[in-house]
Amino acid sequence: MVIALSLVLPAAAAVWLLGAGRGLAHRTVNRVALAASAVTLVAVLGAVLTRPTIDRPWVPALDLRWQFAVDGISAPLLVMTAVLGVAVVVHSSRRRPEGGTSAVFHACLLLVETGALATFYARDAILFFIAFEVVLVPMWVLITRFGDAHRPAARADAGARFVLYTALGSTLMLVGILALVASAGTADLEVLARGNGSGIPQGTQLLIALALVSGLGIKVPLFPGHTWLPPAHTIAPTAGSVLLAAVLLKMGTYGLVRLPIAAVPDAFGRIAPVLAVVGAIGILWGGLACLVERDLKRLIAYSSVAHMGFVALGLASGTSTGMQAALFANVAHGVVSALLFFIVGGLKERWGSADLTVARAALREVSPRLGFALVVGLAASLGLPGLAGFWGEFLSLYAVWSPADGLPLGVFRAAAVAGAAGTVLAAAYALRVAGLVWAGDRTEPAVADTRGAEWAVVGGLVAATLVLGVLPHVLLSVTSDAVSALVGGS
Amino acid sequence: MNTMVSIDALALAPVLAPAAGAVLVLVLDVLAPRLRTAHHALGLLALAAGVAFAVPGALRGETDPVRSLCLPAPDGACFYEAGPLASALQIGALASALVVLLLVWPAGGSRDSAPEQLRGGPAVTVALVLSATAGAAAVAAAHDLGSWLVALELATLPAIALVALRATRSAGAGALSLLTTSLVSFAMVVLGAALWLVATGRPVFSGGAVEQALRSGDDRAVLLLGVLLLVGGLGFKLSLVPFHAWTPQAYAGGTEPVAAFLAATSKVAALAALVVVLRPLAAAGAPVLVGIGVLAALSMTVGNVLALVQDDPVRLLAWSTVAQAGWVILPLATLVPAGLAASGGYLLAYVIATLVAFTVVVLVGGGAAGRTLTAYRGMLRTRPALGALLGLALVSLAGLPPGVLGLVAKVVALRPVVAEGLWALALVAVVNAVIGVAVYLRWFAVLFQEPATAPGPARPAARGALAALALTGTALVLTSLAPQLLLGLLA
Repeated sequence: MVIALSLVLPAAAAVWLLGAGRGLAHRTVNRVALAASAVTLVAVLGAVLTRPTIDRPWVPALDLRWQFAVDGISAPLLVMTAVLGVAVVVHSSRRRPEGGTSAVFHACLLLVETGALATFYARDAILFFIAFEVVLVPMWVLITRFGDAHRPAARADAGARFVLYTALGSTLMLVGILALVASAGTADLEVLARGNGSGIPQGTQLLIALALVSGLGIKVPLFPGHTWLPPAHTIAPTAGSVLLAAVLLKMGTYGLVRLPIAAVPDAFGRIAPVLAVVGAIGILWGGLACLVERDLKRLIAYSSVAHMGFVALGLASGTSTGMQAALFANVAHGVVSALLFFIVGGLKERWGSADLTVARAALREVSPRLGFALVVGLAASLGLPGLAGFWGEFLSLYAVWSPADGLPLGVFRAAAVAGAAGTVLAAAYALRVAGLVWAGDRTEPAVADTRGAEWAVVGGLVAATLVLGVLPHVLLSVTSDAVSALVGGS
Repeated sequence: MNTMVSIDALALAPVLAPAAGAVLVLVLDVLAPRLRTAHHALGLLALAAGVAFAVPGALRGETDPVRSLCLPAPDGACFYEAGPLASALQIGALASALVVLLLVWPAGGSRDSAPEQLRGGPAVTVALVLSATAGAAAVAAAHDLGSWLVALELATLPAIALVALRATRSAGAGALSLLTTSLVSFAMVVLGAALWLVATGRPVFSGGAVEQALRSGDDRAVLLLGVLLLVGGLGFKLSLVPFHAWTPQAYAGGTEPVAAFLAATSKVAALAALVVVLRPLAAAGAPVLVGIGVLAALSMTVGNVLALVQDDPVRLLAWSTVAQAGWVILPLATLVPAGLAASGGYLLAYVIATLVAFTVVVLVGGGAAGRTLTAYRGMLRTRPALGALLGLALVSLAGLPPGVLGLVAKVVALRPVVAEGLWALALVAVVNAVIGVAVYLRWFAVLFQEPATAPGPARPAARGALAALALTGTALVLTSLAPQLLLGLLA
């Protein structure tokens, strides 16, 4: 019931806005969207607490069912998605979107939220794929219609890259899913996880795992499939960037946990070293790019590539610590990147561009609250203990140093060293940004400090960053049972 | 011994209804030559009756097909056999022809929005559509070589006339290329049929005879050569690369409703004919499989790449037909029974979406100016309902939500391919799914742009086209919400 409500309500509100919202004022549209996303949040919280399930036939010809449930792995992501769904609407309350009607803008936000929630709820592999695809068109509209108003050509390019890369990834994933479903005889994720791939020939398992990992890897994104991410983030409107970084990327890592790791663990173990290497390259590549990047939004996007590299390392390790680390880093990155994109998007609006080479007023001087939030975000991003980013990175490095039995130790140790070097890079670029944007004593040209809705959203995310950093076990305890069921407590 | 063939007229009704309709329309034209809409009404009635008669066949089980024209026992072979798949394809052919008739409905709207009338008047147009549809319905259920060949040509020849009757230079060129192609394809099909007869010794499409032929080396070679010729000949009709060259010419040369007919009804007929040939061939194995796989891969790739650079919506849809034809025969490359149903399911999903797109193209109209994508700029703002339905059709063809129908169809088409382990073919399909997204989103993006000029005074649209839009749009929305409505017909 609550699950159905949390899916139907935002979708219905979005459809209504698309159909009837043309003439409505921005405020009205925003209130409707706010009400829808707030009720959705309540429903999601209800679903997370009561853990109901839905199981109804949808397309019997395909054996496709409406099969939704919540468990320890999806619960944190569901809550995060629903919270950020409210946050982006609140954040947009005073900002009339450029490039189209605000009804379409809010409808797209709600549709992205619906698709992400459905993805995290889905318990049927094919339903998972369909939900995965739902976010594609609305996000494409957000980027191409509501993105950076000054650069129409770049908007079209970024939107096309996003949609084509993601379509490639998800179709590859579909091939993997169909092969898995055909050889295992079921699309039920729970049954697939219990089956552990037994009864599927080794060669097929490997092909399935390859298709799934390469498909989902584009979404995550893993090096070298990451090239769609920086332009998409740079161009997308603030709300779009936040959803992209905090929610859409998580669908990729979540898919990795649900599909290849759960259903064909042996074959996943065989490609885990590759995944570890790719993750390590992503960490270094992203860190190095951040050191020289001139566009602040693009810089944060590259830091996302690095952070998702840590998630990949944790997943590749094959241990329950690694899995816990990956899931924690997933949520932490969601919170921290949302915070950073809210701040950076706000700065881009105030500055008119996000070019770091232009001399600007130091945030410390002219807008202390925004400056403080930025420093917290950067500190969390570099993995400072006591903030959200620390636990995920620390634990995944720990897990990669001593991976599960049977994995090549040398490769993983090397990946761990590379990851550790990546944290140094992260410190370097975080300090670079802080030095350029926050420190200094210039006070011209002044920018307004954050207040009202924006401050509420940013402040809330700062608090979440602190809570996750100080009390990591709150989150770790939610995921631990599900994780030990998945990797057998090793 | 009783040599009478037993005839169950009710079973034949899906074919007889449009055929009788065609005759009645011509008679009506002789009796009352000045009537204009009566012909169309009669045609619609005949097609609706045909659909109604075909539904029971689609709801019956796989093992219990509708049969007619049966020889007496002990031989007991039937010349007409319509299982769920054949009946579903019949419904697809009849219903899509019904939409085409609505698109050419002459009355309603202002003078300039009424559809362009073909030479020969309404009676000829309607009779041609009906007879081609009768051929399409017949070929789906034909079980012997003779009636299969006749029905296949009956489904093709009137379509050529429909293109030619626009009587413009480009229509002539389109009709000519369609005619030449049809002749070549007919020659191939006849030769293929002859080889089939030589190899199996029986003029029917029966699994038993095929298995026997496959066991002896010589017969096997002859049969496979025959099948390849049949597939090649049908490839012309399905617009498979390298037999596709006529497609853009004929689509762009004929009127838009005729292009819709070629894109929908004709494709259903061609696939139905192909299914009849392939059904008994489950045991044939590699050569046929590779042949179809190569055709599918080529069609998808060439069609998508060329669709990517078209600026005329009709030509874009023509190349999209080529690409989609590749998707349609993709599951056939597995030669498993599930592949046949998957192929039919994909085709019907494509037919619904493409008919919506063509209907919108007809409604936008506007002569040469309407034949560029810029005519669709800002359509979501200027004509929201039309724009939204076109958008849904396009994302459906691209296989993205909210076009769930197209997405589910992609799953349906890929499923047997992956299940049979044809990884190379699956990878080609993956790449083409991506190019397809680019093709259709290119058009979709235009709908979103700012309108170029202030919208002119709204012309009253042709009533028939509006009815067609209501019909196809409802079908698209309903099947997107509940794909089972469509796929259930085939299971």
